[in-house]
Amino acid sequence: MKTLRRIMLVEDNLNDIDLTLAALEEHHLANEIVVARDGAEALDYLHRRGKFADRGDEVPAVILLDIKMPKVSGLEVLRQMKADSTLRHIPVVMLTSSREEPDLAASYKLGANAYVVKPVDFQQFVDAVKQVGGFWAVINEPPPHNSLK
Amino acid sequence: MSLRNVPIRRKLMVMLLLTSAVVMLLMRGTFFAYEYVTFRQETARQLATLSEIIAANSTAALAFANEQDAREILSALKANRNVVAAALYDRDGHLFAHYPDALPVSELPQSPRDGGFNASHSKLTKFQNVVQRDLKLGTLYLELDTGTITREWLYGSLGIAGAVMALVIGVAFLLARSLQRQVSLPILALAETAQAISERKDYSVRAVKIGNDEVGRLTEAFNQMLGEIETLNRDLERRVVERTNQLAAANAEVTRGRAVFESIFESLPGSFLVLTPELKIIAASDAYLKATMTTRETLIGRELFDAFPDNPSEVDAMGSSNLRASLERVLKTGAADTMPIQKYDIRRPDGVFEERYWSPVNSPLLGVDRRVEYLIHRVEDVTDFVHQRTPVNGDSTQLRIKMEQMQAEMFHSSQKIQESNQQLRAANEELESFSYSVSHDLRAPLRHIDGFAGLLRKSDGTQLSEKGSGYLGHISNSAKQMGVLIDDLLVFSRMGRSEMKMTPVNLQQLTADTVQSLQRQEAKDRPIVWKIEALPVVLGDHAMLRQVFVNLLSNAVKYTRPKNPAEIEVGCFDEDKEVVIFIRDNGVGFEMQYAQKLFGVFQRLHRSEEFEGTGIGLANVRRIITRHLGRTWAESMPGAGATFYFSLPKSPEQKT
Repeated sequence: MKTLRRIMLVEDNLNDIDLTLAALEEHHLANEIVVARDGAEALDYLHRRGKFADRGDEVPAVILLDIKMPKVSGLEVLRQMKADSTLRHIPVVMLTSSREEPDLAASYKLGANAYVVKPVDFQQFVDAVKQVGGFWAVINEPPPHNSLK
Repeated sequence: MSLRNVPIRRKLMVMLLLTSAVVMLLMRGTFFAYEYVTFRQETARQLATLSEIIAANSTAALAFANEQDAREILSALKANRNVVAAALYDRDGHLFAHYPDALPVSELPQSPRDGGFNASHSKLTKFQNVVQRDLKLGTLYLELDTGTITREWLYGSLGIAGAVMALVIGVAFLLARSLQRQVSLPILALAETAQAISERKDYSVRAVKIGNDEVGRLTEAFNQMLGEIETLNRDLERRVVERTNQLAAANAEVTRGRAVFESIFESLPGSFLVLTPELKIIAASDAYLKATMTTRETLIGRELFDAFPDNPSEVDAMGSSNLRASLERVLKTGAADTMPIQKYDIRRPDGVFEERYWSPVNSPLLGVDRRVEYLIHRVEDVTDFVHQRTPVNGDSTQLRIKMEQMQAEMFHSSQKIQESNQQLRAANEELESFSYSVSHDLRAPLRHIDGFAGLLRKSDGTQLSEKGSGYLGHISNSAKQMGVLIDDLLVFSRMGRSEMKMTPVNLQQLTADTVQSLQRQEAKDRPIVWKIEALPVVLGDHAMLRQVFVNLLSNAVKYTRPKNPAEIEVGCFDEDKEVVIFIRDNGVGFEMQYAQKLFGVFQRLHRSEEFEGTGIGLANVRRIITRHLGRTWAESMPGAGATFYFSLPKSPEQKT
């Protein structure tokens, strides 16, 4: 079996964090989850600055990114990541409540790797998280480590 | 050297001279061979005669062995300087006497041989028996130096041959020179004529015919051909002139016609611009130029909004953008578009803007493929009315005041329309941001409710009573139901806001596709009798009209569930200005008094345990049809099925 790589979850809503973690746990995908509570914190983590200045240099296998967040929105995080040569290789999956066309269009235009609408039905939500986490953290082959420098 | 490129005159000369020389050489050669043979025979005969005479004279000397006599006889040979040696041998073959005396004996043959000639390279020898009365007395030997004679003969003969050759060649040259003229002159004349024609292109020239031989006939044929070319050429030139004249006349006619049309167009009483679909100005009427204080030269070829930019001092002047929107509408729909009265700021040649009130109409000029080829922008200047300055012609003051009031009202109402358009746009934007929030924020708590209910069931499900477990189920179901409601509402809102893409839509095909997909899902394993009439092609938004058919047909399938067999009919009929499509079923139906409520949002006439649904499908149908400028209504009796109608306006070509 392939080793499980780190998943980063960027989400401001505690309930959503709980539910997403529960869904990941259900599929044994929860051991290496990093949670950022808004866009600013996510960028700090990725750039290893502020309270993340001392963290190791590992790179998440995938970032599950909410759109509507206080301070720095998900779309802004995505924009900054894709404009940064050291971060643009990291796969980003937009995980959001919105099915609105402008959000979809903006996400893909900025270079999102996938767009997943959180279903209201919990079972469907669990299945969606399982498939997204399983694909990006297990099946997908990440870019070589040195290409991210 | 090849003779091919040599002028014909020299060619003939060379031919004649070469022929005479070769003939002469052959003749001379044969003759020479014959002479040589004769000469050799003559020499041998002379030697024979000489030897016979000497032999006859020597008989006595030999008979009496008188050596003195013998030597004298032999010395007589001096007369012939060609005899270089002579000897007499006695009967026994011993040398008896020899000539000349100085000749060493060793150079003579030792003993005589039998008679006969012996020719070698440069001498001819003969042994002659000296006989008297059949008694051989001895032998005579004579040696003739043929080298010298032959050489003398050869020089003489070659000299004569050379002289004759020179004479013959000379005569042949003179003859050839005069004879070749006979042949080359007519050919040269013909060649010169041909060259002259090809240089000057003068086909009236004729070659002079000399003689009646092949060249004469060639000249004749050549002249005849020239005659034909001349005739053809003249005919061609005449036709070219004719055609050129015709073309010039036609061109003049076209130019004149064009000028007439241009001047008619330019002088028409009205202000017009003709634009390409890219909004480039290609023509303008005089009135338009006068009204806009511009000249034709400064307008033609420019983009409309480049020639008439927005008023820089009035950023909010909606005139230009309204005009742009109107032109775009015309391009999109292919139908004329009348704009409300516009306030324009026309830039005068001195750069100052002047306020004008115009009532513009934009109409399309359609090509054969019904595509907009040109736009005609016509404006009516109503500035004077708006400013209420102009006295109306005629003397009725009352009428004048009434007209002025009407104009003023018109202007005000057009302003009002613009105002409410502005409000509408603002409202739309607000709605957009509202539905964005709904999409994000209203769905989240529902997800949480169902999520935590699910987690609760998972962790403590076994400890819950049957009742508690039921309640948990209701919580989940309600949350999901509200999620569906919100999604439907968002779709409904989007239907009202999203831009319509008008294309021809084949309703027959749309119905067939929808029925097929229903048959695979909701209507699976159910006996349904479909009756679908021929349906027209209409102008509309394909995705929206598909939604209409999906909603109405799935309703029909849903509400016929208790019937066996279910019957669903789709048909249409023509009204004056619209086409009406209906979907009829033999389902549960409804009471007519609620017919109007049906199309409202969240309005349901059945309990959800009986027939599931959110009550938004028909609201969507009405919204879509309304946006297509059509109507929706329904007829029914409880238990006797229902018929849903919607109408769509006929496109211009459908109207009869």
